[in-house]
Amino acid sequence: MNGKITGILSVLLVLCLSLAAATADPWYKLLESQFLNLDNLMNLLSRLALYGILGIGVAFVIISSGIDLSIGSLVCLCGVLLAILLKVDYQPERPLSVISIEAASRLITVAEAPRSLPAGTVVRFTGGVGSGLVLTVDSVEGDRITVRETLKRDERDGRLVQAVAVTSMSSDGLSLQVPLLNSASVGDQLQLFLPDGAVTTQKIVSVSTAENFTTLGLARDPGSKYRSGASAVLLKRSQRTPIPAAILLVLLIAGGLGLVHGLLITRLHLQPFVVTLCGLLIYRGVSRWLTNDNPAGFGELQQVLGPVASGRVGLAYRGEDMVFGIPIPFFLLLLIAVLAALFLNRTIWGRYLLALGRNEEAARFSGINTARITVLAYVLCSLLAAVGGMLFAIEFSSISPSSFGNSFELYAIAAAVLGGCSLRGGEGSIAGVVTGTAVMQVLNNLIVLLKIPQSLEATIIGAVILLGVLGDELVRRAAARRRLKS
Amino acid sequence: MITTADTTPRLEVRGISKSFPGVRALNTVSLRLMLGEVLSVVGENGAGKSTLMKILAGVHSPDTGSLFVNGRPVVLRSVRDAMSHGIALIHQELNLADNLEIGANIFLGREPLRRGLIDNATINTASAELLRRIGLNIPPTALVRSLTTGQQQMVEIAKALSINARVLIMDEPTSSLSAGESERLFHVIRDLRSQGVSILYISHRLAEVQDLSDRVAVLRDGENAGELLRDQISHDSLVRLMVGREISRFFTRTSHQPGPVMLEARDLTTTAWPRHRNSFSIRSGEIVGVAGLVGAGRTEMLRTLFGVDQPLAGEIRVAGRTTLLQCPADAIAAGIALVPEDRKQQGVVLDLSIRRNISLASVHQHSQWGWLNRTVERAQSAEMFQRLRIRAPDDSARTGNLSGGNQQKVVLGKWLALRPRVLLLDEPTRGIDVGAKQEIYQLMDELAGQGLAVLFVSSELEEVIGMSDRVLVMHEGRITGELPRSELTEQSIMHLATCGH
Repeated sequence: MNGKITGILSVLLVLCLSLAAATADPWYKLLESQFLNLDNLMNLLSRLALYGILGIGVAFVIISSGIDLSIGSLVCLCGVLLAILLKVDYQPERPLSVISIEAASRLITVAEAPRSLPAGTVVRFTGGVGSGLVLTVDSVEGDRITVRETLKRDERDGRLVQAVAVTSMSSDGLSLQVPLLNSASVGDQLQLFLPDGAVTTQKIVSVSTAENFTTLGLARDPGSKYRSGASAVLLKRSQRTPIPAAILLVLLIAGGLGLVHGLLITRLHLQPFVVTLCGLLIYRGVSRWLTNDNPAGFGELQQVLGPVASGRVGLAYRGEDMVFGIPIPFFLLLLIAVLAALFLNRTIWGRYLLALGRNEEAARFSGINTARITVLAYVLCSLLAAVGGMLFAIEFSSISPSSFGNSFELYAIAAAVLGGCSLRGGEGSIAGVVTGTAVMQVLNNLIVLLKIPQSLEATIIGAVILLGVLGDELVRRAAARRRLKS
Repeated sequence: MITTADTTPRLEVRGISKSFPGVRALNTVSLRLMLGEVLSVVGENGAGKSTLMKILAGVHSPDTGSLFVNGRPVVLRSVRDAMSHGIALIHQELNLADNLEIGANIFLGREPLRRGLIDNATINTASAELLRRIGLNIPPTALVRSLTTGQQQMVEIAKALSINARVLIMDEPTSSLSAGESERLFHVIRDLRSQGVSILYISHRLAEVQDLSDRVAVLRDGENAGELLRDQISHDSLVRLMVGREISRFFTRTSHQPGPVMLEARDLTTTAWPRHRNSFSIRSGEIVGVAGLVGAGRTEMLRTLFGVDQPLAGEIRVAGRTTLLQCPADAIAAGIALVPEDRKQQGVVLDLSIRRNISLASVHQHSQWGWLNRTVERAQSAEMFQRLRIRAPDDSARTGNLSGGNQQKVVLGKWLALRPRVLLLDEPTRGIDVGAKQEIYQLMDELAGQGLAVLFVSSELEEVIGMSDRVLVMHEGRITGELPRSELTEQSIMHLATCGH
């Protein structure tokens, strides 16, 4: 097994050195090459981290002599789920649905009688053709509201939102007072508008409540024209799930899917290839359906989440600027790799996995619950796909559900095979898989740096893997011949 | 029946020897097969029958000796060679593509072509003719899958006839046939004989042999043990030739006072033989042998006792307590260990080191929170390595590189590390050299001395007789008799193993 790691490590080294030489001018000034450019290296480490996490997961399944083709789609599904779970929305409180507007009689009929709408209250009409109208309530009778303004035409299908008048605003525009607004809190938004229809939305950064008025701090100055005569609507912020809960939920769902894969394979004896191929199709479809095939993103949360995927721990600075830093996902990869290696080599389950991958029957005859260990491998694989998927989604910031994660499973399998995992099972090491992933990423980098047409990428990666496996086989045969002779 | 005026043998074997690493399978064996004759070849397991058949069918080539077809010397380098000389082997396991039609199977690899395409019309006419000849009334377009085992065997025979085989070698053809199907097969064999086909028939079932054969050749330990003509063939005469030799003196057996009953089976029914119930018990410190022919249901019995297969009925009691064995882990927890028949597939993981194999079953006992305790593992493995005298550079050697005997010691080491109460062994010395055999016998004796209950299945009568305190003899899924040590002879065992009464 060690021989295999040495092999792939030397391939990586040779690849790196030649790529450095090929992108340096003159060739021996390696340190000034494009390849060893610090930005390039940081980028490379970041990609290695994300793909490496997927590779480790799929290695468990390959060691159990199975295969998991679903992880590319699972990566997509997990990204989409995270985006959906973290969806942030700003909605006014208690909007009134408008059923009809009779322009002539200045009468608005709403779906439900408003709880309290005293005369003189400013309301804003949104939706429909007359969107943005600012109106003042004259009287309310059940579900019929009469307003003071002349309405231009009949309207329907909109909402009426109650507004408050801005009583005063500081000269820098960063703080304002409104009548008592108990429900406001930091993080909500304030929509300011003028009777002429001008509107702006600002984030609330501070809230302080006095006896009968509330002072709100705004993130930015809405502009001087709002200093007097503006009305305001409070938009409450709602996030579907808190971040830790969302992450946990995605992990749970992915783990559950892995469990289903494992049970179908061990209990019903379906072939891993078929089960996970169906997974590939199903998860891709579900992702597209959940998002209506629209790109999904994290909106304002991208700022909070972003550093997890693209943050760096600075190592070298030039002045204030970071010149080189280790991407945070790389630390996560190291952590996962160490845990995975410990699991594989130092726990009984890892030991059982290696044994049953090579000879399931002998393992079963030794009293090992081989089904349970196999299921565990699929669960771990799906969990790591979820971790990778969430990181990828955050890194990409916007994911399009029809292509995100496409053929990641093949790259992960290829990396595992390059790293010494045998598809016959029972063989492989975590260090090998990480090295194999590194080789794949350097190859990808090579295509970019040497300006080889991107369209040839898959061809080149395929050819190199084939050569690698071929070389390995030849070395193995030569070794066997030598053993036979001696 | 064609008269034997033609005295040139169809097929003759002169002084053939064949050795495999560590085993001399055949030693100057000679045989003659005449025109239109059914010659049976019988012998104990390991007497060299299969090796001889494989040489005749071109699978193996002999080390010394020569083959003659119709009096002319031939060299058979491959199965194709043998077929071109009109020799066809019908294996115990059928070699048919059951997803294809009968006709396609008969002409597999020799399809007649018409304008570059397979000529199905010719295939079907020719196949129909062959099927008619052996009395199988099924259209050649039927799928092989839809046939019974007996009918599939007929297709194999048709296939052999289609290459114009003059010599048919049949290896245990009735082992998976029902009584009715066997009857049909015998009918076809007699028919073929009258058509001038020579048949070499191998079977364990002496009644069949007696019924069918014109002549019987007996092999013993890879040598000719004698020949019986039609009127000399009887059950007793066959058994006398098959066994009847002195038992060597390398069995270690010290007598122990047996302790309480450790393992007991009551009315146990296995899936392989759903109609038979078997009851027996083994005491602590006792070595009980299970004798019988291949396919008598001995392995199935052990598999059931180890929880690999589920019993259809009956109960298993370990140390007096009824125990439900749903998987090997249950059996192991109850203190039962199995050294399986198929060592390379079920006994060891060939690609793992000796140490990892030895610790495979017991490693969880010393682990905390799933963490391997490598110190204990190393110590335990080193202990077994020494105690069992495993011959390898050290215990990190790959198990697959060891000899059969040493691999078997690794399997034993795996179980001894668990300190079992009951040790089940299935053909523990198969394919093992004499030295290792003796060590395994010693170990069995030693373990019995320590109070283990040992149950071992063996097809080698010598070791059954040499090692057992008691022998259970099985025949077609049933224990047909139990012999105490004082009554153990090869004849007494063979008698129970072949006819059951």
